[in-house]
Amino acid sequence: MIRFIVRRLLASVVVVFVVASASFLLLHAAPGGPFDTDQRRSAAVQRAMEDRYGLRDSLAAQYGRELAMLAHGDLGRSMKRDVTVNDLIAQHAPVSALVGALGLLVAIGLGLGMGVLAAWRRNTRTDYGLMAVALVGISVPSFVLGPLLIATISIHLGWLPPARIDGPAGYVLPAITLGLLYLGTIARLTRGGMLEALGQDFVRTARAKGLPERTVVWKHALRIGVQPVVTYLGPATAALISGSFVVEKIFQIPGLGASFVDSIAERDYPVLTGVFVFYAVLLVLLNLVVDLAYGWLDPRVREARA
Amino acid sequence: MRATSAGLVAALAACSLPDSDYFGRVPAGDELDPRVFRWCNFNDPDSLDPALTSSTAASPLVSALFDGLTTYGFDGNPVPSLATTWETSEDLRTFTFHLRGDARWSSGRAVTAYDVAYGAIRVTDQVTASPNADNLAPFKGAVATVSRRVFVLRRAVGPYAAGTVVELATPADPPGDPNRRTASRDLALRDLGAPASAAYATVAAGSEVALVMTSGGRATLPTPAGAAAWAYVYRAGAPGSGDGGVYGWVPGAELDGEPAAELAFEVRRVARADEPGLLVALAGDEPPRPVVAAHGRDLVRSPDALGVRVPDAHTIVFETAQPTPFFLSITDNRALRTAPIEAVSRAPTHWTDPDRIVTSGPLHLTAWRHRDGLTLVRSPTYWDPGAVKYERLEVLTVDDQAAAANLYYTAACDATTANVVPSTYMPVLNGEQRGRPYKDYEVSTNLGVYFAWINTKRVTNRHLRRALAYAIDRTAIPHFTHGGEVASAQLTPGTPIAKLAPADLAACGVTRDTPGVALVMTAGELCYVPPPGLAFDEAAAQREVALARAELGDAFPKTLDYRYNAGSEAHKQIAEYLQAAWARLGIDVTLTAEDFNAMLADGRAGNYDIMRFGQQGNVADAESEFMVLFRCGTPDNRGAYCNPAFDKLLDEAQPLRDRRARNAKIREAERVMIEDAPVIPLYVYTLKTLVKPYVRDYHNNVINQPPLWRAWIAKP
Repeated sequence: MIRFIVRRLLASVVVVFVVASASFLLLHAAPGGPFDTDQRRSAAVQRAMEDRYGLRDSLAAQYGRELAMLAHGDLGRSMKRDVTVNDLIAQHAPVSALVGALGLLVAIGLGLGMGVLAAWRRNTRTDYGLMAVALVGISVPSFVLGPLLIATISIHLGWLPPARIDGPAGYVLPAITLGLLYLGTIARLTRGGMLEALGQDFVRTARAKGLPERTVVWKHALRIGVQPVVTYLGPATAALISGSFVVEKIFQIPGLGASFVDSIAERDYPVLTGVFVFYAVLLVLLNLVVDLAYGWLDPRVREARA
Repeated sequence: MRATSAGLVAALAACSLPDSDYFGRVPAGDELDPRVFRWCNFNDPDSLDPALTSSTAASPLVSALFDGLTTYGFDGNPVPSLATTWETSEDLRTFTFHLRGDARWSSGRAVTAYDVAYGAIRVTDQVTASPNADNLAPFKGAVATVSRRVFVLRRAVGPYAAGTVVELATPADPPGDPNRRTASRDLALRDLGAPASAAYATVAAGSEVALVMTSGGRATLPTPAGAAAWAYVYRAGAPGSGDGGVYGWVPGAELDGEPAAELAFEVRRVARADEPGLLVALAGDEPPRPVVAAHGRDLVRSPDALGVRVPDAHTIVFETAQPTPFFLSITDNRALRTAPIEAVSRAPTHWTDPDRIVTSGPLHLTAWRHRDGLTLVRSPTYWDPGAVKYERLEVLTVDDQAAAANLYYTAACDATTANVVPSTYMPVLNGEQRGRPYKDYEVSTNLGVYFAWINTKRVTNRHLRRALAYAIDRTAIPHFTHGGEVASAQLTPGTPIAKLAPADLAACGVTRDTPGVALVMTAGELCYVPPPGLAFDEAAAQREVALARAELGDAFPKTLDYRYNAGSEAHKQIAEYLQAAWARLGIDVTLTAEDFNAMLADGRAGNYDIMRFGQQGNVADAESEFMVLFRCGTPDNRGAYCNPAFDKLLDEAQPLRDRRARNAKIREAERVMIEDAPVIPLYVYTLKTLVKPYVRDYHNNVINQPPLWRAWIAKP
């Protein structure tokens, strides 16, 4: 078990290196630089600004410096804003994470319930109804759903703020918008997994033992039926808690997503690389958690790994 | 994406908005809290450091936090602030400001002329890399100081006495920095005159520092009584790292190592116009300036080379290389705002954090939640205790137009900054849809022009360029931009003449029915009326294109490419509109949308035929803000236009003290340029703001610098 974790963590160092290199090279390959402006600026001032960040050094030298700083855990300074990348992530990532976690709660809470119910009552009107809702959740993008919710609930009814998080009420609409995106997928995956699980031998055994149907479904079948969802949850959690740019934009949530997207347009090299690396680490860790969760959920996987 | 979501909300909202005089909710009297002014700002400030910020989002906040010699009045013109009186020399080259005695930093220390001078020294220091350094370009030595090409002689070299200001005589970069220093003992960095025990940072013996300035100079703090000169040094952080370095004072004698002493320089005295301290009007020929060889030990980079002098703590004198009639407009610029040296020294890159910031303006910062908001409070140390009527300014940071409009609609903010309204909302707000505009929607002129550059290196034929300009009926453009923009074939922007106040009409020498715009420079007094330009004329366009075809023959371009930046529906619509108009002349134009930085890179490389662009002015002056773009060989001259006749007229305008005569010359120059058609002006930008009816004294001005500290909330 320990060896498994160590091996995975070592592999993740390679992943981070590749991600850092790729983001560095790709953004430097894009035309223009961070200090391009449509305002008037003399050559002397332009040079001074580029020198401050060593931008006129060779690409190899900049790359080397970037990697050396990364090895020390220093992600550098933003070239466009008065902030270090470490501070930027520390400030904005928790906001994204909280909103994402609430969205995840909505998605898992409703999605799992819907999926199990649909599988249990398969091919009935309940099943069709729930899956229709799931389909809508998958199909309606957040940039349609978000403004729709704002227009009706905030502007029309005046129940909730149209944007910003200035109190608990501010979390409601973003969490719903984010959650509905994932709810559909989770519901459908759960339904599929449950259908398969409900047909397996151990379920028949459980039923034959005379266990109540509720225990069979929720305690025995769900553990196996939920496995596809768990696989999906790794990347989904990473995406949710690292910040959905679209939802953060619509609801003006000061999360990491906006910093990330702006850094591309502004050619803010350190921010882009730094946030990219942060995302990579997050994804690697969450995938590790998912793999560990399989073992916890399914004794067969645990044995195979040992 | 933004357009989609904004459009959706607009469509949903507009079809069922209650019929009201105001857009959205107006809180009732008892709901209003006059102690708090809530303002929706667009984007997070890039920085609150007056030397480092360059964003529209930060500008009004920086002006509220840091006092200037003058500051922005309601109309955007400078009004006295830190300076109460000033004098201008006859030749418009020397400007003396007298400071009030009762100004205080939030730390309690008095604000002095040295703080203003330090701001200028810091902005022109290469290490600071201030994007605002060019705003001080009129100062003697400013541009050369930024590029480290100007020095002061520490001892006599050749014919030049010690103290002479010299410049690098070779076009190459300087061979190194003569200001590198080391010390054989640890350096205890501290405030000027403080004991070593009060040091806040230490530089290890042998480590290199850069000498920034010494005490007792023309513009630097006086040397403590009974001591030798102190040195202000900088210990750098690694480039790009989170370590921003540190500054501090040490007794000058402690800097006993000079790593650059043997470097070889070739220098000569600076031109007379650039020589600081030369206060007489310049006449006669330039005396010879022989080039001499000097070493690093002979030279020092020093603020003494800059045209700034502080004769006493409440007087500051600026000297410019050229006559500068618009000098007063520099004094409210962020580049000349005061900077608190003690705070900057300790944390050069994060001294504006709320727990460290030291301010001198009417407001003080207490919180900055990045990408979320800022809290500013009335400064208890400001010299005019009654200036700010509210206790707290809550800045709501918004970076989506639809969200900003929605927040205003639900009364989450009392007013918005300019141009946060999505274009899809504008037909609702300006009355196009319901027949009457909302009373809280204000549209005002902005000192900015939207135009298309023509790359004169590629589109060399003057007739072809003129044809392109004549072909455009600009009056149609505001119908798809919706923001009350002013269609214009004139390059220098201004207020539509039809909307001028009667006193301004007289100042401009025009009648109400004169077409076009005029730039009011001083209300009721001074005005610039740009020449009419190549307004829409189909026959003229046909004529010019025929001439171009005759001249170019087979070389007549098969296609031209027009570049614009992606992401805005308006840029795209305008591009397509121009394309259609040019197609009617038989000129085939392909459109290329690219991201903004890519477009700028193509512009710099000359990799375009026609490119959409915009230019905003900081000062109500046609020459310094707009004509300067078209001078031969300047870096901002993106279309590479060059006409010596144009440059000559501008040169002739420069020394004219009579501003009307100067304007006439500039107008002549603008006419020469616009007739050559290196540029196709399309419209004058507008500022669109939403302001609740109970907000008083919140007005935007042509340079988009609303004095936030003057606003207040009227409780009925």
